[in-house]
Amino acid sequence: MSSERSETGKAGVIVAPEDASAMDTLAHSVLDDLLYNIVHDLLIKVHRDEKMARAATAAIKVEKLANEASDLSTPDAKPDVRMETDAAIYEDGKVLLKGNPLKLTKEILCPRCRLPRLLYPTDGKGARKPDPGIAYCKKHPYIEKPGYDIYGQTWVAPGPGRGKKKKDVANDSNSLATGVEGGAKDRPPNVLSFPSATCSKCKRCILVTRLNNHMGSCIGNSGRNASRAAAQKICNGGSNGGSQNNDNTPPGSQKGTPLPGSRAASPRKRDMDEFDEDAEESDPTNPKKKKVKPNALPRKVILKTKPPVKKEKVKGNSMLNVEQKVDDEDGNNNGGKNSTVQVAPKKSTPAKGPSPTKKVKLGQNKLPPPSSTKKGAKRDRDMESESSGTLSSPPQ
Amino acid sequence: MSARPATPASPKNFKVKAPQPGQPLYGCEHLQRLFNQDQATTNTSIQHYKAALRIILDTTPLIPQTAKSIEGAISTSLTPTYLCLQCPWTLTEDDRAKHGNKKSHRFYVESRSGALYCQMCDDIVWDPTFEDLRLRKIGTGTFSTSGFPQAYHSNTAKFDRKRKHDELFAQDPAKDSPQFISTNTTVASCKANGLRGIYNAGATCYQNVVLQSFLHNPVLRNFYLSDGHQSNTCEMQHCLSCAMDDMFQDFYALENTNGYTAANILSGFWISDKKAFENLVTTKEQDAHEFFQFLAEELHERNGDGKKPESGSEHSCNCIIHQTFYGKLQSTTTCQSCGGVTNQVQSFLDLSLPLENLTQKKGKKHGGKIPAMTLQECLDEEYIKSDKCEYRCNACNTMQQARRQTSIKCLPNVLSIQLKRFEFKQGRNERAAKIDTPVHFPLQLNMLPYTNRAQVKDNSELARSATYDLLSVVVHVGEIDTGHYVSYCRVGDQWFAFNDHKVELAQKSEVLGARAYLLFYIVRSLA
Ligand SMILES: [Zn+2]
Ligand SMILES: [Zn+2]
Ligand SMILES: [Zn+2]
Ligand SMILES: [Zn+2]
Repeated sequence: MSSERSETGKAGVIVAPEDASAMDTLAHSVLDDLLYNIVHDLLIKVHRDEKMARAATAAIKVEKLANEASDLSTPDAKPDVRMETDAAIYEDGKVLLKGNPLKLTKEILCPRCRLPRLLYPTDGKGARKPDPGIAYCKKHPYIEKPGYDIYGQTWVAPGPGRGKKKKDVANDSNSLATGVEGGAKDRPPNVLSFPSATCSKCKRCILVTRLNNHMGSCIGNSGRNASRAAAQKICNGGSNGGSQNNDNTPPGSQKGTPLPGSRAASPRKRDMDEFDEDAEESDPTNPKKKKVKPNALPRKVILKTKPPVKKEKVKGNSMLNVEQKVDDEDGNNNGGKNSTVQVAPKKSTPAKGPSPTKKVKLGQNKLPPPSSTKKGAKRDRDMESESSGTLSSPPQ
Repeated sequence: MSARPATPASPKNFKVKAPQPGQPLYGCEHLQRLFNQDQATTNTSIQHYKAALRIILDTTPLIPQTAKSIEGAISTSLTPTYLCLQCPWTLTEDDRAKHGNKKSHRFYVESRSGALYCQMCDDIVWDPTFEDLRLRKIGTGTFSTSGFPQAYHSNTAKFDRKRKHDELFAQDPAKDSPQFISTNTTVASCKANGLRGIYNAGATCYQNVVLQSFLHNPVLRNFYLSDGHQSNTCEMQHCLSCAMDDMFQDFYALENTNGYTAANILSGFWISDKKAFENLVTTKEQDAHEFFQFLAEELHERNGDGKKPESGSEHSCNCIIHQTFYGKLQSTTTCQSCGGVTNQVQSFLDLSLPLENLTQKKGKKHGGKIPAMTLQECLDEEYIKSDKCEYRCNACNTMQQARRQTSIKCLPNVLSIQLKRFEFKQGRNERAAKIDTPVHFPLQLNMLPYTNRAQVKDNSELARSATYDLLSVVVHVGEIDTGHYVSYCRVGDQWFAFNDHKVELAQKSEVLGARAYLLFYIVRSLA
């Protein structure tokens, strides 16, 4: 430590008292230096993120100008013009900085969509009103607001008797309080409700909060653990496979770790509640062990429309047959190249389109024709009212 | 310029990084001038930058932290010093300007981070060429883009570390990368970021927390997003790996911000014929750790060599699950009678740390009151201390007392740790009890002491390969019977709290204060 700041370290914040011993003074100055380093490291990190984002913004802006000036129809070609802004020069397909981007560039453009980034959250802690006249990049700062998630969404409380565990209620008391009771029409757009999903076996539309119980009885009974299912039937006297009887399951933890919750002394309320409706759907007489996935293909195509061409490209880096190239750096390298490129088409395809399709499909096409029982009808009605909100996507 | 000219015989001419759309070519105008002088200047600048980074990252901190003033006075400080890029001089911040004015040396490497300071800008500059070198050196320990550093992880993990590292630690893989932009400017949404909740399908929060930890595991994410397992060509019925593939797609490609319904995972789970996990298949709340094991085994079988990953044997497989989670333990048993030594190697998917004994030990020491423990203490118990056991010694040909010591032979890329909070008491109605003792765990974990090379001193390569960063935390809240699972995952530097369909921002302090049940650490170097 140099003599002029012998009193303490570089931060100058942690200072030993006047009458401190030499050792004491040293300890204070070491601590003070450490504090300086912590702040310094944080600053370097933030500085890097910010300055690189601004430098990229300067580059994007001048490239945009160059593209406009050259009026090229192919966006990838490098326009043969010279362009200059306050912050950067475009020349020969290169961008050169002028001065410090931290001083000369005030906004941040998204390197992907090239739209301005919203710099403050739109709600909650530190929120600011975005300029309604500007089209911002869709990546927004995350929202920090009690009772809401990072996107500012909240959820309709699941109806009585079919949803949350008690401690969930405690956990989510905020969202419950803010969640508006009533139909979808009364809900503000950022209040979502619970969607429904299709059971892969019976193709019925089940409210998500009951999906596990449904599958337990629908698939579980005809699936792998027929013996357990049988035990359940004996226990429960019917198709009501599920809750308390699970206490009969042997404590089969492999490592002697007991299962939390698997030996519950009393059945939990929600299990009971949920069973009355879903149990009927199970078909214990169905002997098939593994059902074919009948609609697997159409679903995939809709979801991802991945071109089959990819196959050959992909196999290069597929981990499925790594065996042959464990020590083959080049192979893996190629794989690496592939993989970065590969992400692209996949990510791109589904973007907006397919998602609603999928949802719509769930909601509309999936009303199951097979069931005409009273229960089935009741469920359908249920489903409609409950899943009505799910077709709406969250606020954009 | 430097006294050391580039050897003319050397064919190695350094180039600046090729221009990327949306990125300036140089960090500042002054670096632009430096790089445009002549090839020799470019070569020496890059060589010197690499040398500075080696001093900073590979040597004892004493060397870069020791500065020499213009007058020749030597001082060592804790706070950053500056290594001149153009001569082998290290300066304090105060002396930097004097040195620059005297020698016209304008660029300095900051001793804590390796960042480059430009005196004419009077600011740190982030030059694409230099920054590439710095990140590669920090991440992998070497500058090369193809070589394998001497490392020490399981041989199932021999994939290209440079490339992996660059990809894995980019906050949005492919997203912010200019190469990606040029080919796909219009298509991928900036909104799809992998941050979504997963609906509770009825007591399935134990699955949700594990799924979230997989979704935010960079190794798995890269595997699935690069079509490691393609659900549109896989012919397996109800394939769980296909269900994972679809889930990764939905999380990282769609704009949806509402919760995700993991219906295919759930049905794949119900349909699976893993006998070992039979007891998992109930509609009741289950153990997240068992679900983790279940999912790992399933995904191994869908992607791996088809062999069962028996935990006892030394199973070498190159599937994504083995590359991600599997390491190897070595236990050494020493016969107390003849001194004979037996070594046994086992693969492990995760490390299970019992808390019960340590809790009792500490409780006794502190008069019944149980103080908080640290993760490192638990690891000490298992992988440093030895214990007594009985075994059949081959040399003595009888049962003998022996000492057994277990240490880690191969560290995994992602280290998963289970803190055994659920104590199973036999007898008394077979009730399980929960150990709620706080166990402090660090953001950065040094695993070197628990390996069989703990004694190796001063090997920065080894130390780097044993340094882990916290990736996600699974927490069981509430009583053993009625509990609920929540989790925290890190994306870049930001932590998020996942509670079924709800995703919220989380503070580091909140994460570190959690009563962890499962911990996932990712190796820093990804060696
Ligand atoms: Zn954007
Ligand atoms: Zn400069
Ligand atoms: Zn598959
Ligand atoms: Zn012996």
